[in-house]
Amino acid sequence: MNYSLLQVELLVALLGLGVLLADLWLPPRHRRALGLAAAAGLMLVFIVGIRGAVDTYAGAAEYAFGAPKARTGMYVLDNLAVFFKQFFLLAGILVLLMSVEYSDRIGSGVSEFFALVIFALLGMLFAASANDLVLLFASLELVTITFVVLNSYQRGRAASIEAGVKYLIMGALASAFMVFGIALVFGSANTTNFSEIHAAQKQLAGNPVFLVGLAMLLGGLLFKIAAVPFQMWAPDVYQGSPAPATAFLAVGSKAAGIVLLLRVLFGAVPQITAQWSHLLVWIAALTILYGSLCAIPQRSLKRLMGYSSIANAGYLLLGFASLRAEGVNGVLYYLAGYLFTVLAAFAVVCVVLRHTDSDDLSALAGLGQRSPLLAGALALAMASLAGIPPLAGFLGKFLLLKSIVPNGAYDPGYYCLLGVAVFGVVVSLYYYFGVIRAVYWGGQASDLSPIATSWPVRIALAVCIAGIFWLGLFPDNLLSLTGPAAGVFGKLATPASWPANAH
Amino acid sequence: MQAGLNHYLIVGGLLFCLGLFGVIARRNLLVVYMGLELMLNAANLVLVAFSRFNNNLNGQVMVFFVITVAAAEVAVGLALIVALYRKRRTAHVEDLASLKL
Repeated sequence: MNYSLLQVELLVALLGLGVLLADLWLPPRHRRALGLAAAAGLMLVFIVGIRGAVDTYAGAAEYAFGAPKARTGMYVLDNLAVFFKQFFLLAGILVLLMSVEYSDRIGSGVSEFFALVIFALLGMLFAASANDLVLLFASLELVTITFVVLNSYQRGRAASIEAGVKYLIMGALASAFMVFGIALVFGSANTTNFSEIHAAQKQLAGNPVFLVGLAMLLGGLLFKIAAVPFQMWAPDVYQGSPAPATAFLAVGSKAAGIVLLLRVLFGAVPQITAQWSHLLVWIAALTILYGSLCAIPQRSLKRLMGYSSIANAGYLLLGFASLRAEGVNGVLYYLAGYLFTVLAAFAVVCVVLRHTDSDDLSALAGLGQRSPLLAGALALAMASLAGIPPLAGFLGKFLLLKSIVPNGAYDPGYYCLLGVAVFGVVVSLYYYFGVIRAVYWGGQASDLSPIATSWPVRIALAVCIAGIFWLGLFPDNLLSLTGPAAGVFGKLATPASWPANAH
Repeated sequence: MQAGLNHYLIVGGLLFCLGLFGVIARRNLLVVYMGLELMLNAANLVLVAFSRFNNNLNGQVMVFFVITVAAAEVAVGLALIVALYRKRRTAHVEDLASLKL
């Protein structure tokens, strides 16, 4: 077998083990340096590993862990996988920088926190390449279990433990449904490989056992991205968890769910997905409505981000409901913008939490004077989430909305979905600007002493701000990456009731 | 009478529903956790049955993955429930309500 296909994963696994080992010999005061070294190591993997991976597969998909030359391996390396591997590595680097800033609030076991972030990243990297239900399950569980630990890492805080327990119970419930779904899919298709399921999907489309299994599997994946009806956990867990863990949960875990949904819905069963377009439309609409409406009365910034993440899952599902390569392209672009935006917001939350010990919106009062950099970054992130041009969030939302418009001609439900999405955007302006108002016009703050930011946070913020503007102003650079990545599924199937030339 | 595939599937389905009922209806976190384990084992039973009757060993390999993951989940989960009990002196679902609007 060609191990160079897995070089990114192998390097990241070694790095994680290295961090755990280094902790044994390192005196406690060097823990912060260890986190920075881990971030630098990931940077190295990003540069060397991705380049090597791109050279290995050279445009066409390469498979591993399968019959030689059969093109049905368990692990696939293609444009989509490489796009997501870059995405996850970048998120991992920024989250590690944030964790270094946050390390004195974590208490004991700081190095293990860094190591767990890296292991969660490893699960996400495998998820990006999953071409088999077994790898899907194993990678997703690696992510889920490490996140249970990360979420409950501040054992002294009741909120953190509660968040961990909630994520544990809900996550285990979702996994149980997923495993039962996998069992039914395996039983009816007699294979767990996506390529083989794809080849047999015509016969499987009429098999009720297969359809029930697929629905249960999708339930498990919708849990990961926090879509209705599996969204209950998100606000509580986001609020209670340590800020760097929440940030990684919001970006990495959600993107892992998205890439697996893409692989299952469009890679394995595109024809069944097309028949289920109504279901996707309903889920997207309800998710957007739920997230947007429930975010309005929130006073805790982290909880607000939890509802915002639900609403954003809804926008991402627009791209799935469109059943078009343009929609998938929009999903990828939106996720890239979401990465920079959400991580910028959480980097600010990390620092503010450290200084004020509260994530209530009132604690942000006077931030405009206390630290213009933090205030500016948070305002920029909120404006990007709200979809203000020329920032990253605007173009992503625009691409997603644009992808569903042509479908309205065949199915008026899509016009309703468009209306709901636009309504969600308008509502979101209100609560995102509530945050900006709290930062700059938040009334009298009792404490106006300047907030110092350490250089790792400043680097993370600079990267995020640059990313937000870069994606908004020069979209062609990223679109040249997302285009081929969205193209790995070829021409997507359309529902039988649509005209044959619908695309 | 020979036990066929359907018998195994019915037992698996019943176990799954029983576990789900436990998760939804019971208030003690440990019992909820037992319900979750029951659901995973129901899936294992179904996997093994399909594997046996389809003459495809892949399902049994999947069961090993599920068992391993379930063990890891229990290790983390029980530790967490103990930590919760130490902090709050309770292991009941209703008491997990400090994170609210």
